[in-house]
Amino acid sequence: MKLSQEQIERLYKFTRQHYVEYYDLQTELVDHLANAIEEQWQQNPKLSFEEALQIEFKKFGVFGFMDVVEQRQSVLNKKYNKLVLSELKTFFSVPKIIGTVAAIGIVFYFIKSITLGALVVQSLFFILVVLYFLGIAILMQRNKKRNKQNGKKWLLKEIMFGYSSSAGLINLPIQFALHLKGENYHDGLLLLFSFLLILLGLTEYIMLVLIPSKAEDFLKETYPEYKIAN
Amino acid sequence: MKNSQLYKGSLTTIVMKLLEENGRMYGYEITQKVKEITKGELKITEGALYPALHKLEAEGVLEVEIENVDNRLRKYYKLTEKGTSETINRLAELEEFIRNMQSIVNPKLT
Repeated sequence: MKLSQEQIERLYKFTRQHYVEYYDLQTELVDHLANAIEEQWQQNPKLSFEEALQIEFKKFGVFGFMDVVEQRQSVLNKKYNKLVLSELKTFFSVPKIIGTVAAIGIVFYFIKSITLGALVVQSLFFILVVLYFLGIAILMQRNKKRNKQNGKKWLLKEIMFGYSSSAGLINLPIQFALHLKGENYHDGLLLLFSFLLILLGLTEYIMLVLIPSKAEDFLKETYPEYKIAN
Repeated sequence: MKNSQLYKGSLTTIVMKLLEENGRMYGYEITQKVKEITKGELKITEGALYPALHKLEAEGVLEVEIENVDNRLRKYYKLTEKGTSETINRLAELEEFIRNMQSIVNPKLT
């Protein structure tokens, strides 16, 4: 006996009730549970659907689907970080590196030529941090709206649209900027500041603009079911 | 086998070996296949299998295909090119491990 469409829907609901928010994981677990229930029916046709479901769910252990969800999260977080890194690398290889070096140079001469250099560097770091939070807020807002429209959540998409763990990225420049004091900095240090400012700016650009704009491609590549489901 | 700790480290190798032999498989099929081969002695737990599959997928060892079967979407896993060569390495490692374990458990007296 095969499961009916309603029973499949019930399984989707069951995974949602057990804290599997993401459609990509739900789909895989639903198929697993469905196969297992059908197998049980072959041996014991009298078993009810709900009973069979409970037996199968128990096999996942006391934490239910939590392990599966957590592991998937960490795998996709890593994937996302790799994505950011590989995009960042393109800015440090030919031909884009020419622009990157030029930008660092411009910032360097700018902070070198003005008085109160440290204050300006601090403000620049601060502006970048504010922009980051602003950007994340806008992305999350837009994603929320879209999720409401079709009701399906994709883990990688959620990560790309603002749920990534990038606190470190923001904490670092804040700490750095706070420790800047005094006026006369060595040229080498000024160059380092310029480099860091550009690096941070580029990372933000990749995370807030570049990857979200290419999101559909990345999602289709990661999830073959993305096209079918949307 | 009651003690699942013993095969935990070899889970990914087992999965890769099965995929090498069977082409593409889905999660439930893998658990059943292992049960069948080992006559129920070795049971892969669901809670361990899927994380292992996802990890291998992220490493580029496996790729996925989706198909609509019996009212539902089924996710198939298969080895990538990198995965195929990786399987050979890991199997060799596992075999060596088994040999070493054997000589520890059952030392030949000379």
